Order: sequence, then C-alpha cells, then structure tokens
Amino acid sequence: MSALHYENLMTLSVRINDEKVEVKVPPTLSLAVILRNYFQLTGTKIACGIGRCGACSILLDDELVNACLVMAYQANGKSITTIEGLSKLSLDEVQEAFLKQGGYQCGYCTPGMIMAVKAMFDRNPHPQESDIEEALAGNLCRCTGYGGILRAVKYVMNQKHY
Amino acid sequence: MKGNIQEKEKRIRPDGVEKVTGKIKYLTDLSFPNMLVGKVLRSEYPHAKILSINTEKAKQIPGVHAVITHEDIPAMNGFGLVTPDQPVFCVDRVRYIGDAIAAVAAESLESAEEALRCIEVKYEPLEVLDSPEKALHPDAIKLHPQGNICHKASYKKGNVEEAFKQCTYIIEETYELPRQMHGFIETEGGVFVPDEDGGITVFAGTQHGFKDRFQLSRILGIPETKIRVISSPMGGSFGGKDELNIQPYGSLLALKTGRPVKIHNTRVESVRAGIKRHPMKITMKTGVDANGKLLAHKVNIVADKGAYTTLGPAVLDFAVEHAAGPYMIPNIDTEGVLVFTNNGMSGEFRGFGGNQVTFALEGQLDRLAERLQMDPIELRRKNLRKETDLGPVGQMIAPTDGASLVLEGVSKLMNTNRKQQDEQPWIFKGTGIAIGMHGGGLGKGRIDHAGGRLSLAKDGKIEISFGFEECGQGLVAVIENLTISELGCGKDDIRIVISDTDRVPISGSSTASRSTNMVWQSLKRLKEPFMKMLYEEAAELLKLPEDEMTLGVGGIWLKGRSDGPCITYEEMARKSEKELSYTTNFHFPITPTPDAIPGAHFLYTFGGIKVDVEVNGLTGKVIVTSIDHVISAGPVVSPNGYVGQIEGGGVMSLGYTLLEEAKMIDGKYASENFDTYLMPNIVDVPFDTNVYAIEELAEGDEYGPRGVGEIGTIAIIPAIAKAVHDATGLWINKLPISPEELLNHMEQKGMIPWVLNKM
Ligand code: FES
Ligand code: FES
Repeated sequence: MSALHYENLMTLSVRINDEKVEVKVPPTLSLAVILRNYFQLTGTKIACGIGRCGACSILLDDELVNACLVMAYQANGKSITTIEGLSKLSLDEVQEAFLKQGGYQCGYCTPGMIMAVKAMFDRNPHPQESDIEEALAGNLCRCTGYGGILRAVKYVMNQKHY
Repeated sequence: MKGNIQEKEKRIRPDGVEKVTGKIKYLTDLSFPNMLVGKVLRSEYPHAKILSINTEKAKQIPGVHAVITHEDIPAMNGFGLVTPDQPVFCVDRVRYIGDAIAAVAAESLESAEEALRCIEVKYEPLEVLDSPEKALHPDAIKLHPQGNICHKASYKKGNVEEAFKQCTYIIEETYELPRQMHGFIETEGGVFVPDEDGGITVFAGTQHGFKDRFQLSRILGIPETKIRVISSPMGGSFGGKDELNIQPYGSLLALKTGRPVKIHNTRVESVRAGIKRHPMKITMKTGVDANGKLLAHKVNIVADKGAYTTLGPAVLDFAVEHAAGPYMIPNIDTEGVLVFTNNGMSGEFRGFGGNQVTFALEGQLDRLAERLQMDPIELRRKNLRKETDLGPVGQMIAPTDGASLVLEGVSKLMNTNRKQQDEQPWIFKGTGIAIGMHGGGLGKGRIDHAGGRLSLAKDGKIEISFGFEECGQGLVAVIENLTISELGCGKDDIRIVISDTDRVPISGSSTASRSTNMVWQSLKRLKEPFMKMLYEEAAELLKLPEDEMTLGVGGIWLKGRSDGPCITYEEMARKSEKELSYTTNFHFPITPTPDAIPGAHFLYTFGGIKVDVEVNGLTGKVIVTSIDHVISAGPVVSPNGYVGQIEGGGVMSLGYTLLEEAKMIDGKYASENFDTYLMPNIVDVPFDTNVYAIEELAEGDEYGPRGVGEIGTIAIIPAIAKAVHDATGLWINKLPISPEELLNHMEQKGMIPWVLNKM
C-alpha cells in the first residue's frame, strides 16, 4: 500500500473459514477487497460494488451480507464464511445441487448465489416460492436466467426434506 | 407438459467443481509478484476538443510508475475488430464519454486513482450529437472524416410500391428499441505480464484471442509471435468483450514499467466505456391480401452507432438480412443506415441486430392478423418458408424445416383455458407467441476460418485443442461430450486445451453461435486421420493388425476383447517416438449464392416462444408467468448447457422487453450501475420455463448441431409484446414496455375504473 491516504491502518482481527487471522488495513476498506486482495480468497467477487448484485455475498457471524458494503472496522472480531469455507472436506449439498442441475454458466455469480441459497436453507429448510424469491432477490445472474438455479434449489429440497 | 431435454449422462461439466467451489481463477482474479494496478482516465465530455493534456503532477504521486498518453503509443493509435477507428488514446478530440485520454500504473489503487485526479486535461466542449436525427442533419458537425454515416445496407426484390396497391390491408408502424447493457457479472479486466524478451502475456477475457493478438501487435509495434493471449474463463461476455477494451492500456503500461499490471474495471467504468446493444428505430410497412398472403414489406432501419464503428456494419447487415425473417414475401425493400453519434458506443450483442428487427416483424404479423381477423399462427403458417425455400435475402441456405417445426411446436402449446381471476380483477392475463430465425457464423464475404487439433500428449492424454473461449456458455462441456462420443475414449483420457494463442490452432471467434458447430465439424475431420495414426503406431509397437483396433476407455482395444486395452494411451505416448498429432483447418459453411448480400448466412436456427403474462392494472407492471421455448437447432450436445443458453438468453431478452434501457441524456449514461439499471432478478422470471428441442435436421444434412447461444433471445421480445396486447389491447411499439403507457391505455379504455368499482 502506498502511504497516500491511509496512515492510520487498523489491525483487523477476524476468523475466516474457521481460521483466526490478523491484517493491517485501512479501517474503511471494503471486506470484499480485503478477502480478495489480502487473502487471495477470490471466490468472493465484486461486480457492482454497491450492494446490488450479491456477487460478494458471504456469511458474517452466520448472517448473509454483501461483503462490498462491509467496512473493515465493522467486521472486526467477527467470523466470516466465504465460498472457500463451504467445502473444506467435501462439497456442500448446495454446491452439489448446483453442479448437478446446471445452476451456473460463467460461474461468476455462483459463489454469491450459493452463499445466499445456503443462508436460506440454514434459516428455512422448507422455503415456499415466495421465500426463495425473497432470499435470492439480491443476487443477479446474467447467464442462467435463474432456471438452473431454481432447479438446484428444488433438488436440495427434494434430497433433504421429502 | 415438461421440456424434453434431460441430462442424458450424468456427466458434470469439466469446469463445474471449480466454479461451485469458487476456486476457479478468472483472469481478473490473478495476481503476480510485483504487480501494479492500472487505471484509465476517460473523457469528461461526450464531445469536445482536447486543448492540452498535462501529466506532470500525476507523475509525482508516490507509488506511481507510469502515466501514459497518445505520445506513448509505439505504433498504431487505433483499434476495432474490422475498422480500427477507435483511438487507444485521444489526441485532440473526444467523441464519447468512454474515450480514453491517459492511463496510469501505480503500486496501489489509491495512488492510481489519485494520479488520475491529477492529470490536467483542458477541453473545449462541442455540440453533442445525441441522436441519429441530429447527426444526420446536413449542418451537423462531422464526427469522422467521412461524415456521420457509418454504414448503409439494403436488400430489394420485386416492386413494393406496385405490390402495396394490390394489398387488402397495410400496416405501417415505427418500432423503437433501446440501448441494452451486456451486464456481464465480471467486468472487463485482466493482468498483463511483460516477458524478458520484450514480449507480453495478456490474461484478459475476449471472444477471439487471435484477433486480440493481431490488434495488440499493431498498437504495441511488436510481432504477434511475441504476444501470448490467454482469454478464458470469463464471467460472461454476450458479445461485450469481443472488442478490445482494457487490453491496450494494460499492455502499454506493462511494457512501459516492465512489471505486471492488473486492470479491473469498476462497474461504472465498464458502463461508460463498454459497448452496448444498438438502439434502433425501425419503420415497417407490410401489406397482405384478403387471404392473408404477405405481398409487400418495406423496412427502414436507423441505428445509433455511437462514436466508433466496432462491428456495427455487420450488425446492420444482419438486421437487414433478418427483416423478413422466415416469411416468404415476394416484394421487399429494406434499407438500413448506421449513424455515428456522441452517445455510448454500440457494438456486438447476443442476437446481433436480429432481436430488434424481429420485434418489429412479428409485431407487424400480429397487427395484420388482427386486421384480417385471422389466428396469428394461421397467418404465419400461410407465409412460412418451406424446407428448401431460399433464405430471407434470396440466398440459398442449408435445407431446413425449422420454421414450420417451431411454429407447429408453439401451436401445440396453445391450450388457453385461461380464466380471469375474480379475486384479483385488476390483473389482466394474456398469452403471446412469436417465432424467429437466426443465422450462425459470420456470413457471406467475411473470413470465417475454423480449425482444431487432436494430439496424444507426452503424458498420455488425448489433447483436443481449439482457439475458442469459455465465456460461460459451456463450451468445455460441448468439447468434452463431442470428443468422447466421437472417439469412444473416456472422460479421463482427454485434456481440453482452449484460449491460449501459444497452444491452440486458429479456430475463429467464439461468436455468432458458431463454436458448437465448429467443434463438431472439426471433430468429424480430425477423427479418422487421428485414429488411423494411433492404430498404425500401435500396430507397429505391438506387432498386431491395425484393423482389429478400436479406441476405447484408457487406451486402444482389440475388437471383441473386453479385458482391457492392448495398449494404454500412456504407454503409447511413452513408447512412441513420433509426434501423434493432427490439425484441421476449414471455413465456416457459406451460401453458394454468388451475389448474396454481404453477411448473408447459410446455417440458421429457429426458435418459437409462447409466454403468458399478467398485467397489473394498478401499477402497469408486467409479469411474465410462463415461458415455453421451442428450438430447432439440431442435436443437443450438452443438455444442461443447451437449456441454460436458451433460458438465460430468454431472460436477458425479457429484461430488454420489460426493464432494461441504458438511457443517455446529453450523451451521458443516466444509469451507471445496477441500482438504477435494472436487469431481471429471480422475482422477474417465471419459476417454470420449458425448453423443447427439435433435434431432427433436414434429411442428408451434413452440418451437424447448430449453436444455440443467440436463438433463445430472439422471439421472446415480440411474444411478450403480443401477450401484453392480448391482456390489455395495447400494441407496444417501444421498449422497454412502459408501465405509464400501459396505465394510460388501461385508463382510457376504462379497464381501471371498472376494476376499482368492482373492488
Ligand atoms: S459487489 Fe457486492 S453486491 Fe455487488
Ligand atoms: S452464471 Fe454467469 S452470472 Fe450467473
């Protein structure tokens, strides 16, 4: 980093995917940038940078957030799960479903989308159509037209609950 | 009824696991040691003279390693896939809001941004030509030396004026289509890594690595062989990354600083600088006799080019070609003009001008059907091309009955037992159908080379190599599925090599719905010679007869034996001293009609759509409640990919019909991000979409499966417009469909007071 704007760096101390880490960053730097540039966790994508596309969706203390809107100081002391943390040993059932049902094409929205689907199922194992709409309305996909994503969601529901 | 496509084998797309785990490295995810950040300074004005550029202050910013302008370009200051009239850096004039003036490379984003702020550019604003009408005015200032007309295209047959006299009904309408953003989720970007010997490796998304290499070589003044372009995976393109975008800047900065440079556009930068779908104004006058036979069709297309040529002329040619679509009309007079303006630049976009013109054409058919009081399907049926009829501009095309197959397919879906719901009397329901056709490949008069290579690599993998790119469309799955089925080997026996100009043969661009077809055609040509080569080699190594051999899982098998290969691919590669590799080169099939108009196609796909909509009488909002696609494009190669392309394309056009407009005010974008530019989200799409694939091709067809990258985007636009008419009586002439216009109409027709009284 250049010394240009940020003489006052803070020590950000967080758990990322169950690992405790510390890093010196400008306090208002976006968490999405920190994950990508400081930890090479490039599964978290930035597409709009203003909280409208969901490509940067992660879990912050188990809460789905747009990482582009979270500043370093707001994340301090919290626990973060990114797409990389979802499949430590084997694929998560949501990832499995996306894989089998063609829930992705270019795949660039996919990590965010999977995090959103995961957060939905964690909260509500029996979503209705309107719940699915509500849970995923913040995630844009330009490729699939959402068909494959909806089939993946249905697949998880069938696998799990019926 | 459900769509008829099933995943035949449970084969997972080769890039699947990496994508769902987030492990895949897109080119904008790469990092290199010592890497700098690049940023581009773009114009403050849509149209201005540049009086001076001063970079002195910017160079002093700590952490800044280079600030470059037009003075730092070693060779040609221009790019563009066909006409290189877009300056890399402007010299004395800017013509649109995305024009580049300077670029910087710095150690951090903050320093780079600070440096951009310190570059002093003095402008003298000029009059902004923000519409084709203004630009066509005889007194308008010239945007380019040749004037403000970028291109004209036309097609004529018969005598329309005479024919109109014979018509019982004539419909004349003007249709207005807006500018649409590609909206790829990954914005443009990449990393540029200089080599020790003065060359460079470019990691940046594009749809045609070799064309990038060629253009970069002209700009950088270094031979093509010193430039290596690695061009996928990409987070979407849809035509939007086919032209060079950040590549010239990244390359120049990397060569200047001797360090890797990364550029990754923000969304705002992407919106300002990137190309969009051409806005068009299309006037169509179409006449029909009392029996519903189309007699005359006069079409006038005015398209807004924006500041530079890009692929605009080819897009206009395509629109002119598709103006009569799959209908046989004896008298046609189509004229198109493409006009330079100071608006955002238009260029290649999925559907390539076919979307706009099909909206108008199908709108004409529906209006005529109403005048004739004829079923719109029946009217279409009466005028449809037959299997061996000529193409839309009188050219010979590969025999295909696709038009009538998709129309009949759609007609079977029309079991409208739709009831107005009493509990929600303000919701008006409607159904619409439409069909469309789309030419694949670049068309007559354009160099459209393809090729591919099969090799047995030293580690025993069968390498299949193409110059195509994975933009998300699922090309790698297509290659895997076709290679396995053609060669008979196993999934683990092959390695797919694409999008690296140092390692792949020239295969043409990943555009124009051509890649699937070109992979299939390549394999047809590669298969026999490659297998023969392997059999001969195995025969020699094993002293066994080669005509007993067959390729199989893991290696070469002896016919009739099931205990394992007689030699594995690995053994073969290890023992053989020969280079076991075969390359093919050929041209995309083109129409044999010698005087066909430029760009006329030979291979077409067809698509039919049925949609149901609900129009809310209280808000004017249109919701599409179901979409059925019937597609005729030959055999399905990769089921998930096929459905995904069709559904995704359909929803992209649903957005064009109902939501999306990259509006410009005085040459500036009114929306620069996804907060105000609305693309469909999950709430805007129906939960049930069906895709019916008609897989049969005409008898004796030797061209194989056609690509489906674009056909899903075509007919849905007029189908939604028709469904809205069905629901409300309003004919839509302008996209996106405006809730205000709908509300006004419903109010005038008394639909809303009726609703409110009933409530
Ligand atoms: S990048 Fe964070 S929501 Fe779009
Ligand atoms: S898969 Fe490309 S944006 Fe969703």
